[in-house]
Amino acid sequence: MRDISTSVPKTDHWEKTAGTAKYVADLAPEGALHALTFRSPIPHGEIRSLVLPDLPEGYASVDARDIPGKNGVHIIQDDMPVFAERTLRYVGEPILLLVGPDKTVLKRLLSAIRLETVPLEPVFDDRRADVWHHYVKGDPDQAFARAKRIIEYEYQTGLQEQAYLEPQGMIAIPEGDKMTLIGSIQCPYYVKNAVVPVLGCAPDKVRVIQPPVGGAFGGKEEFPSLIACQAAVAARKTKRPVRLIFERPEDIEVTTKRHPARIRLRAAIGEGNVVEAIASDIRLDGGAYLGLSNVVLSRSMIATTGAYTVPNVSCSGEVYVTNTVPTGAFRGFGAPQIFFAVEMFFQHLAKDLGEDPLAFKLRHLAKQGDLTATSGTFRDPILVPKMVKRALEMSDYQNKTRRYSGESPYRGLGLSLFFHGCGFTGSGEATIIKAEVQLRKNADDTVDVLIAAVDMGQGAKTTLAKIVAHTLDLPLDRVRFPYPDTDVVPDSGPTVASRTVMIVGGLLEKATQKLKARWVSGVAVQLTERYQPPEWIKWDEKAFRGDAYPAYSWGVDVVEVSVDPRTYQVKIEGTWSVYDVGKGIDERILEGQADGGMTQGLAYGYMENMEIKQGVLRQRNLTDYIIPTACDCGPYAVEWVENPFVYGPLGAKGAGELTLIGAAPAVAAAIENAIGRRIRKIPATPESLLELIEYGKR
Amino acid sequence: MVEHRIPENLNEALKLLYHGDYQVMAGGTDLMVQRRSLSDTPLDFPKNMVYCAHLQELRGIRKEAHRVEIGAMTPLEDLLCHPEVPSLLRRAIGEMASPAIRHVATLGGNIANASPAGDTLPVLYLLDAWAELRSLAGSRMILIRDLITGPRALKIHPEEMLTKIGIPEMHFSHETFVKVGGRQADAISKVSLAAAADIVEGKVSDLRIAFGAVAPTVVRDETLEGAWEGATLSELKVGVWRLLDMYVPLIRPIDDQRSGKHYRHQVALNLLRDFIESLSEPTSEPGR
Amino acid sequence: MANVNFVLNHTPVAVEGGLNRRLLDVLRTDFGLKGPKEGCGEGECGACAVLIDHRIVNSCLMPLANCEGKDIVTIEGFSETERFTVLQKAYSECGAVQCGFCTPGMILASESLLHANPHPTEEEVRIGLSGNLCRCTGYNMIVKAVLLAAKEGEGLW
Repeated sequence: MRDISTSVPKTDHWEKTAGTAKYVADLAPEGALHALTFRSPIPHGEIRSLVLPDLPEGYASVDARDIPGKNGVHIIQDDMPVFAERTLRYVGEPILLLVGPDKTVLKRLLSAIRLETVPLEPVFDDRRADVWHHYVKGDPDQAFARAKRIIEYEYQTGLQEQAYLEPQGMIAIPEGDKMTLIGSIQCPYYVKNAVVPVLGCAPDKVRVIQPPVGGAFGGKEEFPSLIACQAAVAARKTKRPVRLIFERPEDIEVTTKRHPARIRLRAAIGEGNVVEAIASDIRLDGGAYLGLSNVVLSRSMIATTGAYTVPNVSCSGEVYVTNTVPTGAFRGFGAPQIFFAVEMFFQHLAKDLGEDPLAFKLRHLAKQGDLTATSGTFRDPILVPKMVKRALEMSDYQNKTRRYSGESPYRGLGLSLFFHGCGFTGSGEATIIKAEVQLRKNADDTVDVLIAAVDMGQGAKTTLAKIVAHTLDLPLDRVRFPYPDTDVVPDSGPTVASRTVMIVGGLLEKATQKLKARWVSGVAVQLTERYQPPEWIKWDEKAFRGDAYPAYSWGVDVVEVSVDPRTYQVKIEGTWSVYDVGKGIDERILEGQADGGMTQGLAYGYMENMEIKQGVLRQRNLTDYIIPTACDCGPYAVEWVENPFVYGPLGAKGAGELTLIGAAPAVAAAIENAIGRRIRKIPATPESLLELIEYGKR
Repeated sequence: MVEHRIPENLNEALKLLYHGDYQVMAGGTDLMVQRRSLSDTPLDFPKNMVYCAHLQELRGIRKEAHRVEIGAMTPLEDLLCHPEVPSLLRRAIGEMASPAIRHVATLGGNIANASPAGDTLPVLYLLDAWAELRSLAGSRMILIRDLITGPRALKIHPEEMLTKIGIPEMHFSHETFVKVGGRQADAISKVSLAAAADIVEGKVSDLRIAFGAVAPTVVRDETLEGAWEGATLSELKVGVWRLLDMYVPLIRPIDDQRSGKHYRHQVALNLLRDFIESLSEPTSEPGR
Repeated sequence: MANVNFVLNHTPVAVEGGLNRRLLDVLRTDFGLKGPKEGCGEGECGACAVLIDHRIVNSCLMPLANCEGKDIVTIEGFSETERFTVLQKAYSECGAVQCGFCTPGMILASESLLHANPHPTEEEVRIGLSGNLCRCTGYNMIVKAVLLAAKEGEGLW
C-alpha cells in the first residue's frame, strides 16, 4: 500500500480552475431579494429615533422587532444581538436590513434613513475587563523571591484582517416553515444552532448547506452566524429568499478581526541563568462583544511559556471590551500573539544575560515528559532539537549570522520555536462538540463521507476522502465527500482549531476500519462513529489545570530579512521551516499550508497594519489594508519530520494553524538582529522601524 | 439625466466637450474607483461622460526631433517596453499598480487625475514634460508642472481635452526613480523621488530633483537646483546636508491611512541623500 | 439606446445601454458568466480579471463603453483551450489551487503573461502575477506552476 503522504490531485481542482465552482455570490435563487444593512455611525450611544423613508411596494425593513425568537447570536457568549435595539456599541453595528428587488433603489432608501442618536462616552482602552482568569503552576511567589534577577518587558500585537479573497455572504431561502441557509462558512452546525433560537423553531426546520468557500482563516467561524440570523429573519418576514452579500469595504469594516494584545512577561532568573518562573499578564481587546474571546484568551494563556519548560508560572489573562469592531477567530486563535511575546522575551532575556539566544532557548526547550504550563504533560516525543539542527543547516544560519553582524548592516536572521495544541481546548471535544461522522457504503461499492467539515481551501475535501480511501484500499474516485448539508450529515464539529484531520479524520479512520471489517460487495451499509475522549485527558476548566490538548504539533522557522536603510522597508530574503505534524496526509496540500501560513504570519509581523481612530477603521479596503503580493515573497524551503501521533489518523496531528504561528516572531527577531534595535511591537512597519532606529533601545 | 457617449473620433469628442458639460474618461482605472457604487448598480457620475480610450488619434508613441510624443490614451504597458520612452518614465511605470491596471491606464489619465501620489508625475515634472490641450477652438501646449495646480485640479478649460504628452530629449549621467510603497508591487506611493544629474568633467551641468506624495503637488524647485550648477561633484557631495536643508520646508507630507508625515519627510530626505552620495565620476556608460 | 458590440468568448455580442456599467456586472448578470468574481471592486485583487485582446484586465474597473470592438475572454472561454489544459495540469502538479477564488484570475494572468513572454524568468512571473492577490497560498507554488506550464507548453505560447 503506498504512503498516504504521497500527493494526489485535489478532488475539486477541475471546478476551481475552470471557474465552474459556484460560491455563494454566484447563486441567485428564483425571486431572491437583495439585502443591504443599515449600521451605526457612532461608536457608542443610544438610538433616540429612527425614521424610515416610505418604502415602495416589494420593499421591507427588517429589525429586532421582526425576530420571532431571541435577539442574540449564539457564539459561546451570546452577547451579540442580531440587530441592535437601542444601544449601539461600535461603528458599523447592524441596526436593520432593507430588502427588496433592486439594489439601486435599496441604496437610495438606505441613505434616506434618518437616525438620531444620543452619544455616550466610548471606551477605547482596557478599563473594562469583562473576562478575567488566573492560574498557577508550582510556586511562582517563592521563585520570584529567590530570584537572582528579575526581568520584565511588555509586548504588543495589532489587529489583523483575515482578507479571504471571497467576501462574506449568506442566502436564506424559506420553504414553508423550513429555512435553508447557504453561505460562505466554516461551521454549518454553528450557523444552524444560531438560527434556530432566533427563529424560535424546531431544529429540523433549519437546514444549512455549504457551497465552495473562498478562504476563511477563522473569519467565517462565528461571524456568518450573525448574517445568517439576519437573513433568516428577513426571509421569514418577506417569505422570499434573501441574499445578504458583502462587498469588500463593508466586509473589512464590520467583520471580526484578530484580537490585539498587550502581554507583559516577567521572568525570575535563577542560578545558571535558568528561567525559574514566569509571571504573565495577557490582555486582549475583545471589541464590542465578547463572542468567543474567552476561548482565544484561553489559548494564549495556555501557551504562556511557549515552547519552553518553566517550573513556576503565574498567568493572568483578561479580555477587555471596547467600542470597536468585535474581534474573533483568526488562524492561531491567541497563539500568534503569545508566541510573538514569548519568543521575543526569550531572545531579550538571553541578550540581557549575555547569552546566545538560540542556545538559551534550546536549554529551556520542553522535553517529552515535562509538565506543560498548565501542569499537564507533554506525552509525546518532541523532535524540536533535531528540527532546529535541520533548520540551521537549511538556512546556513550560523555562518550568515556571523557574516552579517560583521559586514552587512541591515541584514539579519531570526529563529522561532513554537507549537500548536491540536483540537479544542481541554474537554471541549467531549463536552461541547461531541463529534459524529457517518459513512455510507453504496450498493455500487462507492463510499460517501458524511461530515460537516468545510473545505475552505485547506484541502479537507481531498485529505479526508484520502483517509477513507487509503484505509479501504480503494481508488480515491470511489470515495465521495459531498459539500455538507445539515439535513444529510451529522455534526462532526466546526472546521476550526486544527481538528479536522486529527479529530474528524481520526473518527473517519475508525469508522472506515469498522466498515472494512463488514464490507460486502454489492451491499449498502451505513455506519456512525462518535467521538470518545481518551481517558488520559484531564482538564480542569476552572483551575486551568491539566492537559489542554491531546496533541501538539511543533515548528521551527528561520527567516532572513534585509532592511533598506533609506526607507526602512523590510524585504524577505528567505524562509526555512521544519514542521512536525505527526504524519502528512498529503504532501502537496501540506506544503500549501506552509506556503500560505508563513506568508500570512510574516505579514502579521511586518506588513499588515490596521488602525482604529475614535472607533473608525482607517484602512477600509484592500488598497489601504496591505497584504502580500507575489512580489513580496522570497525563496523558501519546508521540511517535515514524522512523529506519528498514536490517536491521529495514520499518525496525523493538526497543521492548519501551526504554519502561521512561528512566522511573526521569526521575522521580528530577524529585523531586530538586522537593525540592532529591540522589536517589542508588531507589525514592524517601516514607520515603526524608523522610530526605533532613531530613538529605540539597542 | 447623465449622458454617456462614445465618440467616433477626436473631433466628435471635442464637439461634445465644446457644446456640453462632459467629463473625459480614459482607461477608467481611477474614475471607476472614485465613483464606485455597489455591485450591479450603475456608477454615479455627476457629469456627462465621454469615453475616449479607444480613439486611435490619441494613441501611439512617436519620436520627433529632440522629443518623444505620447498619445494621451496610450496604455501604460505600451510605454513600458518602448525604447523611445525615457528610461526614467519606464522605471516609474514599471513600479505602478499591476499588469492589469497598466494594460488599461493611460499617461493622460494619470496626469488628469493629478493625485499627489501619482507615480508618473515626478518624472514628468523632472523631464519638463508638456501637455497638448485641444478644443474645437484650437490647441495649446502647457508644461505639466504648470497644468497641475493641486490634487485633481488642472488649469484646463471644460471644452479642452488632454491629447498628447511631449517629453524633450535629455541626457543624464545619473538618474534614479525610487517609489516607496507598502509592499513591493501594487501599492500607492507613500513617497517617491525622481532625480537626475549630468556630471560633466567633474562638474554639475544639470541637477534635477522631484519628490512625489509629500505635498499637494510634485515638489520641484528649479531655483534650488540651479544653485548647484557649476559646482564640482565633490562640492555637491560635501554640501549634501545643505542641499537637504533647502528641501526641508518644501517637503510637507501628511498623516494618512498609509503612512505618517515624519516617515515620509525623513525618507524623502534619505532618498535624496542616497542619490547624491551615489554620484560618481561617470564612466563611459551613462544613466543608472 | 446605444449598443456596445464586442466579442465575448469567441462569439459576437451586443449589449444595450448602460455604458457606465462595469464589465464585471455585464458578464455575471447579463451573460451568467460567474467565473470572474468580485473580490474587492477596486482593481486590487484580480479576482475579476478577464482577457481583453489577450491582455489581463480587471473587469470591475472596465466600463462597458470601453469594451466596444474588443475581444474579451473569460475563464469559461479560456478553459476550452489547450493552453488552459497545460496550465491546469501544472497548477495541479504544483499545488497552486486552494480555495479557488483567485484561481480563474490567476490562470488568466498566467495566460496574459505567457502570451506576451513565453519564457519568463521567475521574477517576470512574479511581476506578471503581481496584480492577483492570493491569501491561501504564499504564491510560491503558483509561480512554480507557471514556470512548469511554460516548459511543458513549449510551442503553445
